[in-house]
Amino acid sequence: MSILEIKGLSVSYGAIKALEGIDLRIEEGEIVSLLGANGAGKTTALRAISRLLPIQGGDILFQGKSITQVPVHGVVSLGIAHVPEGRGVFPSLTVQENLKLGTWANKRKSAIPDLRQEVYRIFPRLEERKTQLAGTLSGGEQQMLALGRAMMTDCRVMLLDEPSMGLSPLFVKEVFRVIKEINATKGTTILLVEQNANMALKIAHRGYVLETGNIVLEGTSKDLAHDPRVKEAYLGHQ
Amino acid sequence: MIATAIQQLLNAAQLGAVYALIALGYTMVYGTIRLINFAHGDIFMLGGFVGFLLVSVIPGLPVAVMIPLAMFITAMIGVMIERVAYRKLRNAQRMSLVITALGVGIFLENLVRILVGPQARQIPAQLPNKVLKLGGGVVITEDKILVILISLALMVILWVFVNRTLIGTAMRAVADNRDAVQLMGVNLNLIIATTFAVGSALAAAGGIFFGQAYSIDPYMGIDLGWKAFIAAVIGGIGSIEGAVIGSFLLAGVEVLTVAYLSSNLKNGIAFGLLIILLLIRPNGIMGRAELKKV
Ligand SMILES: Nc1ncnc2c1ncn2[C@@H]1O[C@H](COP(=O)(O)OP(=O)(O)OP(=O)(O)O)[C@@H](O)[C@H]1O
Ligand SMILES: [Mg+2]
Repeated sequence: MSILEIKGLSVSYGAIKALEGIDLRIEEGEIVSLLGANGAGKTTALRAISRLLPIQGGDILFQGKSITQVPVHGVVSLGIAHVPEGRGVFPSLTVQENLKLGTWANKRKSAIPDLRQEVYRIFPRLEERKTQLAGTLSGGEQQMLALGRAMMTDCRVMLLDEPSMGLSPLFVKEVFRVIKEINATKGTTILLVEQNANMALKIAHRGYVLETGNIVLEGTSKDLAHDPRVKEAYLGHQ
Repeated sequence: MIATAIQQLLNAAQLGAVYALIALGYTMVYGTIRLINFAHGDIFMLGGFVGFLLVSVIPGLPVAVMIPLAMFITAMIGVMIERVAYRKLRNAQRMSLVITALGVGIFLENLVRILVGPQARQIPAQLPNKVLKLGGGVVITEDKILVILISLALMVILWVFVNRTLIGTAMRAVADNRDAVQLMGVNLNLIIATTFAVGSALAAAGGIFFGQAYSIDPYMGIDLGWKAFIAAVIGGIGSIEGAVIGSFLLAGVEVLTVAYLSSNLKNGIAFGLLIILLLIRPNGIMGRAELKKV
Protein backbone atom coordinates (compact mmCIF):
# COMPACT_ATOMS: atom_id res chain seq x y z
CA MET A 1 0.00 0.00 0.00
CA SER A 2 1.31 3.46 -0.90
CA ILE A 3 1.63 5.91 1.97
CA LEU A 4 0.02 8.63 -0.13
CA GLU A 5 -2.09 8.13 -3.21
CA ILE A 6 -3.93 10.72 -5.24
CA LYS A 7 -6.56 9.56 -7.68
CA GLY A 8 -8.18 11.73 -10.33
CA LEU A 9 -7.84 14.86 -8.21
CA SER A 10 -9.51 17.95 -9.66
CA VAL A 11 -9.53 21.39 -8.11
CA SER A 12 -11.02 24.61 -9.49
CA TYR A 13 -10.92 28.22 -8.45
CA GLY A 14 -14.38 29.31 -9.52
CA ALA A 15 -14.45 28.75 -13.24
CA ILE A 16 -10.68 28.25 -13.49
CA LYS A 17 -9.66 24.60 -13.51
CA ALA A 18 -6.31 24.29 -11.76
CA LEU A 19 -6.07 20.48 -11.61
CA GLU A 20 -7.87 18.32 -14.13
CA GLY A 21 -7.77 14.89 -12.56
CA ILE A 22 -4.22 14.04 -11.59
CA ASP A 23 -2.89 10.73 -10.28
CA LEU A 24 0.11 10.49 -7.96
CA ARG A 25 1.46 7.64 -5.87
CA ILE A 26 4.13 7.90 -3.21
CA GLU A 27 5.66 4.93 -1.43
CA GLU A 28 6.85 5.05 2.16
CA GLY A 29 10.40 6.37 2.47
CA GLU A 30 10.55 7.87 -1.01
CA ILE A 31 11.44 11.36 -2.11
CA VAL A 32 9.13 12.20 -5.00
CA SER A 33 9.46 15.45 -6.90
CA LEU A 34 6.59 17.28 -8.51
CA LEU A 35 7.97 19.54 -11.23
CA GLY A 36 6.27 22.16 -13.32
CA ALA A 37 6.38 25.74 -14.54
CA ASN A 38 4.68 28.71 -12.88
CA GLY A 39 0.96 28.19 -12.66
CA ALA A 40 1.09 24.48 -13.45
CA GLY A 41 -0.90 23.66 -10.32
CA LYS A 42 1.81 22.39 -7.95
CA THR A 43 0.80 24.53 -4.97
CA THR A 44 -2.84 23.74 -5.65
CA ALA A 45 -2.06 20.03 -5.41
CA LEU A 46 -0.32 20.38 -2.03
CA ARG A 47 -3.02 22.66 -0.63
CA ALA A 48 -5.65 20.15 -1.70
CA ILE A 49 -3.80 17.31 0.02
CA SER A 50 -3.59 19.21 3.28
CA ARG A 51 -7.26 20.17 2.93
CA LEU A 52 -6.70 23.90 2.69
CA LEU A 53 -8.62 23.78 -0.58
CA PRO A 54 -11.90 22.02 -1.32
CA ILE A 55 -11.69 19.47 -4.12
CA GLN A 56 -14.10 19.03 -7.00
CA GLY A 57 -13.36 15.41 -7.71
CA GLY A 58 -11.12 12.44 -7.06
CA ASP A 59 -9.71 11.06 -3.85
CA ILE A 60 -6.72 11.45 -1.56
CA LEU A 61 -5.66 8.34 0.30
CA PHE A 62 -3.24 8.28 3.22
CA GLN A 63 -2.19 4.74 4.10
CA GLY A 64 -5.12 3.51 2.07
CA LYS A 65 -7.74 5.65 3.82
CA SER A 66 -9.50 8.60 2.24
CA ILE A 67 -8.74 11.87 3.99
CA THR A 68 -11.09 14.09 2.01
CA GLN A 69 -13.43 14.39 5.00
CA VAL A 70 -10.69 15.33 7.46
CA PRO A 71 -10.60 19.05 8.44
CA VAL A 72 -7.42 21.04 7.76
CA HIS A 73 -6.36 20.92 11.38
CA GLY A 74 -6.77 17.16 11.44
CA VAL A 75 -4.30 16.43 8.67
CA VAL A 76 -1.10 17.00 10.60
CA SER A 77 -2.08 14.61 13.37
CA LEU A 78 -2.45 11.89 10.73
CA GLY A 79 1.25 12.38 10.05
CA ILE A 80 1.29 14.77 7.10
CA ALA A 81 3.21 18.04 7.52
CA HIS A 82 2.95 20.75 4.89
CA VAL A 83 5.65 23.40 4.54
CA PRO A 84 3.77 25.95 2.46
CA GLU A 85 4.97 28.13 -0.38
CA GLY A 86 6.69 31.18 1.13
CA ARG A 87 7.61 29.09 4.21
CA GLY A 88 4.74 30.14 6.44
CA VAL A 89 6.79 30.89 9.54
CA PHE A 90 5.15 33.12 12.15
CA PRO A 91 7.18 36.34 11.93
CA SER A 92 6.00 37.84 15.23
CA LEU A 93 6.84 34.72 17.22
CA THR A 94 10.33 33.68 18.29
CA VAL A 95 12.14 30.76 16.69
CA GLN A 96 11.42 28.70 19.81
CA GLU A 97 7.72 29.54 19.75
CA ASN A 98 7.52 28.62 16.06
CA LEU A 99 9.03 25.22 16.84
CA LYS A 100 6.73 24.80 19.82
CA LEU A 101 3.65 25.31 17.67
CA GLY A 102 4.94 22.45 15.54
CA THR A 103 4.27 20.18 18.51
CA TRP A 104 0.61 21.22 18.82
CA ALA A 105 -0.74 18.03 17.30
CA ASN A 106 2.14 15.81 18.37
CA LYS A 107 0.63 13.17 20.63
CA ARG A 108 3.95 11.73 21.79
CA LYS A 109 4.77 14.53 24.23
CA SER A 110 7.68 12.54 25.64
CA ALA A 111 9.35 12.56 22.21
CA ILE A 112 9.38 16.35 21.96
CA PRO A 113 12.72 17.06 23.71
CA ASP A 114 14.46 14.56 21.42
CA LEU A 115 12.81 16.06 18.36
CA ARG A 116 13.95 19.51 19.43
CA GLN A 117 17.49 18.30 19.92
CA GLU A 118 17.46 16.72 16.50
CA VAL A 119 16.18 19.94 14.91
CA TYR A 120 18.93 21.92 16.65
CA ARG A 121 21.52 19.35 15.56
CA ILE A 122 20.49 19.63 11.91
CA PHE A 123 20.01 23.40 12.10
CA PRO A 124 22.50 24.73 14.68
CA ARG A 125 21.65 28.23 13.55
CA LEU A 126 18.11 27.88 14.87
CA GLU A 127 19.44 27.12 18.33
CA GLU A 128 21.72 30.17 18.20
CA ARG A 129 18.73 32.30 17.30
CA LYS A 130 16.03 30.61 19.34
CA THR A 131 14.90 33.76 21.13
CA GLN A 132 14.97 35.89 17.98
CA LEU A 133 11.72 36.82 16.19
CA ALA A 134 11.26 34.67 13.11
CA GLY A 135 10.46 37.76 11.07
CA THR A 136 14.01 38.98 11.56
CA LEU A 137 15.61 35.81 10.17
CA SER A 138 17.06 35.70 6.68
CA GLY A 139 15.09 33.88 3.99
CA GLY A 140 17.31 30.83 4.23
CA GLU A 141 17.03 30.71 8.00
CA GLN A 142 13.27 31.00 7.74
CA GLN A 143 13.21 28.04 5.38
CA MET A 144 15.21 26.05 7.92
CA LEU A 145 12.79 27.08 10.63
CA ALA A 146 9.88 25.95 8.48
CA LEU A 147 11.55 22.58 7.93
CA GLY A 148 12.44 22.29 11.61
CA ARG A 149 8.89 23.12 12.62
CA ALA A 150 7.60 20.40 10.30
CA MET A 151 10.02 17.94 11.94
CA MET A 152 8.56 18.84 15.35
CA THR A 153 5.20 17.45 14.21
CA ASP A 154 6.81 14.02 14.10
CA CYS A 155 5.32 13.48 10.65
CA ARG A 156 5.61 10.50 8.33
CA VAL A 157 5.14 12.58 5.18
CA MET A 158 6.39 16.08 4.40
CA LEU A 159 4.89 18.17 1.63
CA LEU A 160 7.47 20.78 0.65
CA ASP A 161 6.44 23.66 -1.60
CA GLU A 162 9.47 25.15 -3.36
CA PRO A 163 11.80 25.12 -0.37
CA SER A 164 14.63 26.57 -2.48
CA MET A 165 12.65 29.55 -3.73
CA GLY A 166 14.45 32.86 -3.38
CA LEU A 167 17.53 31.43 -1.65
CA SER A 168 21.17 32.04 -2.47
CA PRO A 169 22.97 29.13 -4.20
CA LEU A 170 24.70 28.21 -0.96
CA PHE A 171 21.45 27.97 0.95
CA VAL A 172 19.81 26.07 -1.91
CA LYS A 173 22.49 23.40 -1.64
CA GLU A 174 22.09 23.31 2.13
CA VAL A 175 18.31 22.97 1.95
CA PHE A 176 18.50 20.05 -0.48
CA ARG A 177 21.20 18.39 1.63
CA VAL A 178 18.97 18.66 4.69
CA ILE A 179 15.93 17.27 2.89
CA LYS A 180 17.98 14.29 1.87
CA GLU A 181 19.25 13.88 5.43
CA ILE A 182 15.75 13.98 6.93
CA ASN A 183 14.65 11.36 4.45
CA ALA A 184 17.68 9.15 5.03
CA THR A 185 17.94 9.34 8.82
CA LYS A 186 14.27 9.49 9.80
CA GLY A 187 12.74 7.69 6.85
CA THR A 188 10.36 10.58 6.31
CA THR A 189 8.55 10.37 3.00
CA ILE A 190 8.84 13.57 1.00
CA LEU A 191 6.75 15.12 -1.75
CA LEU A 192 8.94 17.87 -3.11
CA VAL A 193 7.46 20.60 -5.30
CA GLU A 194 10.22 22.41 -7.15
CA GLN A 195 11.02 24.60 -10.08
CA ASN A 196 14.69 23.86 -9.56
CA ALA A 197 14.36 20.57 -11.46
CA ASN A 198 18.07 20.11 -11.63
CA MET A 199 18.53 19.90 -7.88
CA ALA A 200 15.21 18.16 -7.22
CA LEU A 201 16.02 15.31 -9.60
CA LYS A 202 19.39 14.87 -7.89
CA ILE A 203 17.84 13.96 -4.54
CA ALA A 204 14.47 12.50 -5.55
CA HIS A 205 13.89 8.85 -6.34
CA ARG A 206 11.04 9.50 -8.72
CA GLY A 207 9.24 12.46 -10.19
CA TYR A 208 6.13 13.75 -11.89
CA VAL A 209 5.85 16.63 -14.32
CA LEU A 210 2.75 18.80 -14.11
CA GLU A 211 1.64 21.01 -16.99
CA THR A 212 -1.45 23.24 -16.75
CA GLY A 213 -3.27 20.92 -14.41
CA ASN A 214 -2.27 17.58 -15.92
CA ILE A 215 0.51 15.09 -15.22
CA VAL A 216 2.36 14.81 -18.52
CA LEU A 217 5.35 12.71 -17.50
CA GLU A 218 6.40 10.45 -14.69
CA GLY A 219 9.33 8.21 -13.98
CA THR A 220 12.51 7.69 -12.03
CA SER A 221 14.62 10.78 -11.56
CA LYS A 222 17.26 9.28 -13.82
CA ASP A 223 14.79 8.73 -16.65
CA LEU A 224 13.30 12.19 -16.21
CA ALA A 225 16.73 13.84 -16.18
CA HIS A 226 17.48 12.25 -19.54
CA ASP A 227 14.09 12.90 -21.07
CA PRO A 228 14.47 15.40 -23.90
CA ARG A 229 11.24 17.18 -22.97
CA VAL A 230 12.36 17.67 -19.37
CA LYS A 231 15.80 18.79 -20.51
CA GLU A 232 14.28 21.29 -22.86
CA ALA A 233 11.63 22.72 -20.56
CA TYR A 234 13.02 22.42 -17.04
CA LEU A 235 16.74 21.78 -17.01
CA GLY A 236 17.83 24.67 -19.18
CA HIS A 237 21.02 24.43 -21.16
CA GLN A 238 23.38 22.85 -18.71
CA MET B 1 -2.52 69.83 47.49
CA ILE B 2 -0.53 66.62 47.30
CA ALA B 3 -3.39 64.80 48.96
CA THR B 4 -5.82 65.85 46.22
CA ALA B 5 -3.30 64.85 43.59
CA ILE B 6 -2.99 61.37 45.09
CA GLN B 7 -6.75 61.20 45.36
CA GLN B 8 -7.04 62.05 41.68
CA LEU B 9 -4.43 59.48 40.72
CA LEU B 10 -6.40 56.79 42.55
CA ASN B 11 -9.55 57.85 40.70
CA ALA B 12 -7.61 57.69 37.46
CA ALA B 13 -6.32 54.22 38.32
CA GLN B 14 -9.86 52.98 38.90
CA LEU B 15 -11.14 54.43 35.63
CA GLY B 16 -8.02 53.23 33.82
CA ALA B 17 -8.59 49.71 35.12
CA VAL B 18 -12.11 49.70 33.67
CA TYR B 19 -10.86 51.09 30.35
CA ALA B 20 -8.13 48.45 30.26
CA LEU B 21 -10.56 45.60 30.89
CA ILE B 22 -12.51 46.73 27.82
CA ALA B 23 -9.51 47.73 25.71
CA LEU B 24 -7.97 44.29 26.08
CA GLY B 25 -10.93 42.74 24.25
CA TYR B 26 -10.55 45.15 21.34
CA THR B 27 -6.87 44.48 21.11
CA MET B 28 -7.13 40.69 21.39
CA VAL B 29 -9.78 40.35 18.71
CA TYR B 30 -7.86 42.73 16.47
CA GLY B 31 -4.68 40.81 17.23
CA THR B 32 -6.13 37.54 15.94
CA ILE B 33 -8.62 38.33 13.19
CA ARG B 34 -7.83 41.98 12.43
CA LEU B 35 -11.40 43.03 13.26
CA ILE B 36 -12.25 46.17 15.18
CA ASN B 37 -15.14 44.64 17.05
CA PHE B 38 -17.36 47.68 17.41
CA ALA B 39 -19.88 45.62 19.38
CA HIS B 40 -17.35 45.14 22.15
CA GLY B 41 -18.47 48.19 24.15
CA ASP B 42 -21.93 46.64 24.21
CA ILE B 43 -20.54 43.37 25.47
CA PHE B 44 -19.12 45.41 28.36
CA MET B 45 -22.65 46.75 28.90
CA LEU B 46 -24.09 43.22 28.76
CA GLY B 47 -21.55 42.11 31.35
CA GLY B 48 -22.79 44.81 33.71
CA PHE B 49 -26.38 43.69 33.22
CA VAL B 50 -25.52 40.02 33.67
CA GLY B 51 -23.93 40.94 37.00
CA PHE B 52 -26.95 43.04 37.91
CA LEU B 53 -29.34 40.19 37.07
CA LEU B 54 -27.34 37.67 39.06
CA VAL B 55 -27.41 39.91 42.13
CA SER B 56 -31.13 40.56 41.74
CA VAL B 57 -32.15 36.97 41.03
CA ILE B 58 -29.94 35.32 43.62
CA PRO B 59 -29.86 37.62 46.65
CA GLY B 60 -26.87 37.04 48.85
CA LEU B 61 -24.78 35.57 46.03
CA PRO B 62 -21.22 36.16 47.22
CA VAL B 63 -19.28 38.57 45.05
CA ALA B 64 -16.46 36.06 44.65
CA VAL B 65 -18.95 33.81 42.85
CA MET B 66 -20.97 36.50 41.12
CA ILE B 67 -18.09 38.08 39.23
CA PRO B 68 -16.61 34.86 37.80
CA LEU B 69 -20.11 33.60 36.94
CA ALA B 70 -21.01 36.83 35.14
CA MET B 71 -17.67 36.70 33.33
CA PHE B 72 -18.39 33.14 32.22
CA ILE B 73 -21.92 33.91 31.01
CA THR B 74 -20.75 36.99 29.12
CA ALA B 75 -17.89 34.97 27.62
CA MET B 76 -20.45 32.53 26.21
CA ILE B 77 -22.46 35.43 24.79
CA GLY B 78 -19.30 36.73 23.12
CA VAL B 79 -18.60 33.31 21.64
CA MET B 80 -22.16 33.11 20.35
CA ILE B 81 -21.92 36.52 18.70
CA GLU B 82 -18.76 35.46 16.87
CA ARG B 83 -20.34 32.18 15.84
CA VAL B 84 -23.58 33.71 14.58
CA ALA B 85 -22.57 37.09 13.19
CA TYR B 86 -18.86 37.05 12.31
CA ARG B 87 -17.71 33.56 11.39
CA LYS B 88 -19.39 33.40 8.01
CA LEU B 89 -17.81 36.73 7.11
CA ARG B 90 -14.31 35.79 8.18
CA ASN B 91 -13.02 35.76 4.62
CA ALA B 92 -15.26 38.54 3.37
CA GLN B 93 -14.18 42.12 2.82
CA ARG B 94 -13.03 43.87 5.96
CA MET B 95 -15.76 46.49 5.55
CA SER B 96 -18.60 43.93 5.70
CA LEU B 97 -17.29 42.68 9.00
CA VAL B 98 -16.98 46.18 10.48
CA ILE B 99 -20.53 47.07 9.43
CA THR B 100 -21.79 43.82 10.92
CA ALA B 101 -20.03 44.62 14.19
CA LEU B 102 -21.67 48.04 14.31
CA GLY B 103 -25.01 46.36 13.63
CA VAL B 104 -24.50 43.81 16.37
CA GLY B 105 -23.74 46.65 18.79
CA ILE B 106 -26.94 48.53 17.94
CA PHE B 107 -28.88 45.27 18.18
CA LEU B 108 -27.56 44.57 21.68
CA GLU B 109 -28.28 48.09 22.91
CA ASN B 110 -31.87 47.90 21.72
CA LEU B 111 -32.38 44.36 22.91
CA VAL B 112 -31.37 45.33 26.44
CA ARG B 113 -33.46 48.51 26.29
CA ILE B 114 -36.55 46.50 25.31
CA LEU B 115 -35.92 43.87 27.96
CA VAL B 116 -35.16 46.08 30.95
CA GLY B 117 -35.94 49.65 29.92
CA PRO B 118 -33.65 52.60 29.31
CA GLN B 119 -33.21 53.79 32.90
CA ALA B 120 -29.88 53.73 34.67
CA ARG B 121 -29.41 51.35 37.60
CA GLN B 122 -26.70 50.74 40.07
CA ILE B 123 -25.45 47.27 40.85
CA PRO B 124 -25.98 47.07 44.63
CA ALA B 125 -22.68 47.35 46.44
CA GLN B 126 -21.08 43.94 46.63
CA LEU B 127 -17.45 44.63 47.20
CA PRO B 128 -16.60 45.73 50.74
CA ASN B 129 -16.67 49.51 50.72
CA LYS B 130 -15.46 50.76 54.02
CA VAL B 131 -13.81 54.15 53.83
CA LEU B 132 -10.11 53.98 54.50
CA LYS B 133 -8.14 57.02 55.64
CA LEU B 134 -4.66 56.92 54.24
CA GLY B 135 -2.25 59.46 55.74
CA GLY B 136 -2.29 63.12 54.75
CA GLY B 137 -6.04 63.39 54.27
CA VAL B 138 -6.22 60.91 51.39
CA VAL B 139 -9.47 59.00 51.59
CA ILE B 140 -10.29 55.89 49.62
CA THR B 141 -12.95 53.22 49.75
CA GLU B 142 -12.00 49.56 49.87
CA ASP B 143 -13.90 48.75 46.69
CA LYS B 144 -11.80 51.21 44.71
CA ILE B 145 -8.63 49.49 45.83
CA LEU B 146 -10.14 46.08 45.13
CA VAL B 147 -11.22 47.10 41.62
CA ILE B 148 -7.70 48.25 40.86
CA LEU B 149 -6.08 45.13 42.33
CA ILE B 150 -8.48 42.61 40.77
CA SER B 151 -8.12 44.29 37.39
CA LEU B 152 -4.34 44.24 37.61
CA ALA B 153 -4.43 40.57 38.58
CA LEU B 154 -6.67 39.78 35.59
CA MET B 155 -4.24 41.60 33.32
CA VAL B 156 -1.29 39.64 34.65
CA ILE B 157 -3.17 36.36 34.19
CA LEU B 158 -4.05 37.37 30.65
CA TRP B 159 -0.44 38.29 29.88
CA VAL B 160 0.79 34.93 31.10
CA PHE B 161 -1.94 33.12 29.16
CA VAL B 162 -1.16 34.88 25.89
CA ASN B 163 2.61 34.88 26.17
CA ARG B 164 3.43 31.72 28.04
CA THR B 165 0.90 29.06 27.03
CA LEU B 166 0.63 27.09 23.80
CA ILE B 167 -2.93 28.30 23.18
CA GLY B 168 -1.74 31.89 23.64
CA THR B 169 1.09 31.27 21.20
CA ALA B 170 -1.40 29.93 18.67
CA MET B 171 -3.55 33.04 19.19
CA ARG B 172 -0.64 35.27 18.32
CA ALA B 173 0.20 33.10 15.32
CA VAL B 174 -3.31 33.40 13.85
CA ALA B 175 -2.71 37.02 12.91
CA ASP B 176 0.62 36.13 11.28
CA ASN B 177 -0.55 33.33 9.04
CA ARG B 178 -3.96 31.76 9.31
CA ASP B 179 -3.22 28.91 6.91
CA ALA B 180 0.04 27.96 8.57
CA VAL B 181 -1.57 27.87 12.02
CA GLN B 182 -4.07 25.33 10.78
CA LEU B 183 -1.29 23.30 9.21
CA MET B 184 0.11 22.95 12.75
CA GLY B 185 -3.12 21.18 13.67
CA VAL B 186 -4.70 24.18 15.37
CA ASN B 187 -8.47 24.41 15.10
CA LEU B 188 -8.90 28.01 14.00
CA ASN B 189 -12.51 28.23 15.19
CA LEU B 190 -11.49 27.16 18.65
CA ILE B 191 -8.75 29.78 18.90
CA ILE B 192 -10.98 32.57 17.65
CA ALA B 193 -13.77 31.49 20.01
CA THR B 194 -11.28 31.53 22.89
CA THR B 195 -10.24 35.06 21.95
CA PHE B 196 -13.84 36.26 22.04
CA ALA B 197 -14.49 34.41 25.29
CA VAL B 198 -11.52 35.92 27.09
CA GLY B 199 -12.16 39.42 25.75
CA SER B 200 -15.84 39.27 26.71
CA ALA B 201 -15.08 37.92 30.18
CA LEU B 202 -12.71 40.80 30.90
CA ALA B 203 -15.25 43.31 29.59
CA ALA B 204 -17.85 41.79 31.93
CA ALA B 205 -15.59 42.36 34.92
CA GLY B 206 -15.22 45.96 33.74
CA GLY B 207 -18.99 46.32 33.37
CA ILE B 208 -19.60 45.11 36.88
CA PHE B 209 -16.94 47.33 38.42
CA PHE B 210 -18.31 50.28 36.51
CA GLY B 211 -21.88 49.44 37.48
CA GLN B 212 -20.97 49.37 41.16
CA ALA B 213 -19.01 52.59 41.09
CA TYR B 214 -21.40 54.50 38.82
CA SER B 215 -24.39 52.95 37.05
CA ILE B 216 -25.40 50.77 34.13
CA ASP B 217 -27.77 51.52 31.27
CA PRO B 218 -28.24 50.05 27.78
CA TYR B 219 -26.13 52.77 26.15
CA MET B 220 -23.21 52.83 28.56
CA GLY B 221 -21.13 50.80 26.13
CA ILE B 222 -21.04 53.52 23.53
CA ASP B 223 -19.07 56.16 25.40
CA LEU B 224 -16.95 53.73 27.39
CA GLY B 225 -16.44 51.53 24.37
CA TRP B 226 -15.10 54.40 22.30
CA LYS B 227 -12.81 55.52 25.09
CA ALA B 228 -11.42 52.02 25.55
CA PHE B 229 -11.01 51.69 21.80
CA ILE B 230 -9.05 54.94 21.76
CA ALA B 231 -6.95 53.67 24.65
CA ALA B 232 -6.19 50.50 22.70
CA VAL B 233 -5.19 52.50 19.64
CA ILE B 234 -3.05 54.90 21.65
CA GLY B 235 -1.27 51.93 23.20
CA GLY B 236 -0.90 50.18 19.86
CA ILE B 237 -3.83 47.99 18.86
CA GLY B 238 -2.96 44.32 18.93
CA SER B 239 -0.62 44.79 21.88
CA ILE B 240 -1.74 43.74 25.35
CA GLU B 241 0.80 45.90 27.16
CA GLY B 242 -0.21 48.77 24.89
CA ALA B 243 -3.90 48.44 25.78
CA VAL B 244 -3.07 48.66 29.49
CA ILE B 245 -0.68 51.59 29.13
CA GLY B 246 -3.07 53.44 26.82
CA SER B 247 -5.96 52.92 29.23
CA PHE B 248 -4.20 54.29 32.28
CA LEU B 249 -2.76 57.15 30.26
CA LEU B 250 -6.16 58.14 28.88
CA ALA B 251 -7.82 57.85 32.27
CA GLY B 252 -5.06 59.95 33.81
CA VAL B 253 -5.47 62.68 31.23
CA GLU B 254 -9.25 62.69 31.67
CA VAL B 255 -9.24 62.77 35.43
CA LEU B 256 -6.61 65.51 35.58
CA THR B 257 -8.47 67.57 32.99
CA VAL B 258 -11.66 67.39 35.01
CA ALA B 259 -9.85 68.13 38.27
CA TYR B 260 -7.70 71.01 37.16
CA LEU B 261 -9.31 72.41 34.00
CA SER B 262 -12.92 71.71 33.22
CA SER B 263 -15.07 68.66 32.71
CA ASN B 264 -16.24 70.19 29.44
CA LEU B 265 -12.77 69.71 28.05
CA LYS B 266 -12.53 66.03 29.00
CA ASN B 267 -13.53 64.44 25.69
CA GLY B 268 -11.92 67.13 23.58
CA ILE B 269 -8.61 66.56 25.27
CA ALA B 270 -8.93 62.77 25.17
CA PHE B 271 -9.60 62.71 21.44
CA GLY B 272 -6.98 65.40 20.85
CA LEU B 273 -4.46 63.23 22.63
CA LEU B 274 -5.34 60.40 20.27
CA ILE B 275 -4.75 62.53 17.21
CA ILE B 276 -1.45 63.97 18.44
CA LEU B 277 -0.14 60.60 19.57
CA LEU B 278 -1.02 58.95 16.30
CA LEU B 279 0.70 61.73 14.39
CA ILE B 280 3.88 61.06 16.36
CA ARG B 281 3.56 57.28 16.59
CA PRO B 282 1.13 55.99 13.95
CA ASN B 283 1.28 52.46 15.37
CA GLY B 284 0.64 53.52 18.95
CA ILE B 285 2.97 53.49 21.93
CA MET B 286 3.73 49.76 21.91
CA GLY B 287 2.76 49.12 18.31
CA ARG B 288 5.29 47.80 15.88
CA ALA B 289 5.06 48.38 12.19
CA GLU B 290 3.76 45.08 10.84
CA LEU B 291 6.68 42.83 10.11
CA LYS B 292 6.83 42.22 6.42
CA LYS B 293 5.80 38.74 5.45
CA VAL B 294 8.61 37.23 3.47
N1 LIG C 1 -6.69 31.76 -5.21
C1 LIG C 1 -6.75 31.57 -6.55
N2 LIG C 1 -7.78 32.05 -7.27
C2 LIG C 1 -7.85 31.87 -8.59
N3 LIG C 1 -6.94 31.19 -9.31
C3 LIG C 1 -5.88 30.69 -8.65
C4 LIG C 1 -5.73 30.85 -7.24
N4 LIG C 1 -4.59 30.24 -6.86
C5 LIG C 1 -4.06 29.74 -7.99
N5 LIG C 1 -4.83 29.99 -9.06
C6 LIG C 1 -4.57 29.57 -10.44
O1 LIG C 1 -4.44 28.16 -10.47
C7 LIG C 1 -3.37 27.77 -11.30
C8 LIG C 1 -2.37 26.93 -10.53
O2 LIG C 1 -1.77 27.73 -9.54
P1 LIG C 1 -0.69 27.16 -8.52
O3 LIG C 1 -0.43 28.20 -7.53
O4 LIG C 1 -1.12 25.84 -8.05
O5 LIG C 1 0.58 27.00 -9.47
P2 LIG C 1 2.06 26.56 -9.12
O6 LIG C 1 2.39 25.42 -9.96
O7 LIG C 1 2.24 26.40 -7.67
O8 LIG C 1 2.88 27.84 -9.62
P3 LIG C 1 4.20 28.54 -9.01
O9 LIG C 1 5.35 27.73 -9.47
O10 LIG C 1 4.20 29.89 -9.64
O11 LIG C 1 4.06 28.58 -7.53
C9 LIG C 1 -2.79 29.06 -11.86
O12 LIG C 1 -3.33 29.26 -13.15
C10 LIG C 1 -3.25 30.12 -10.91
O13 LIG C 1 -3.44 31.35 -11.58
MG1 LIG D 1 3.32 27.36 -6.24
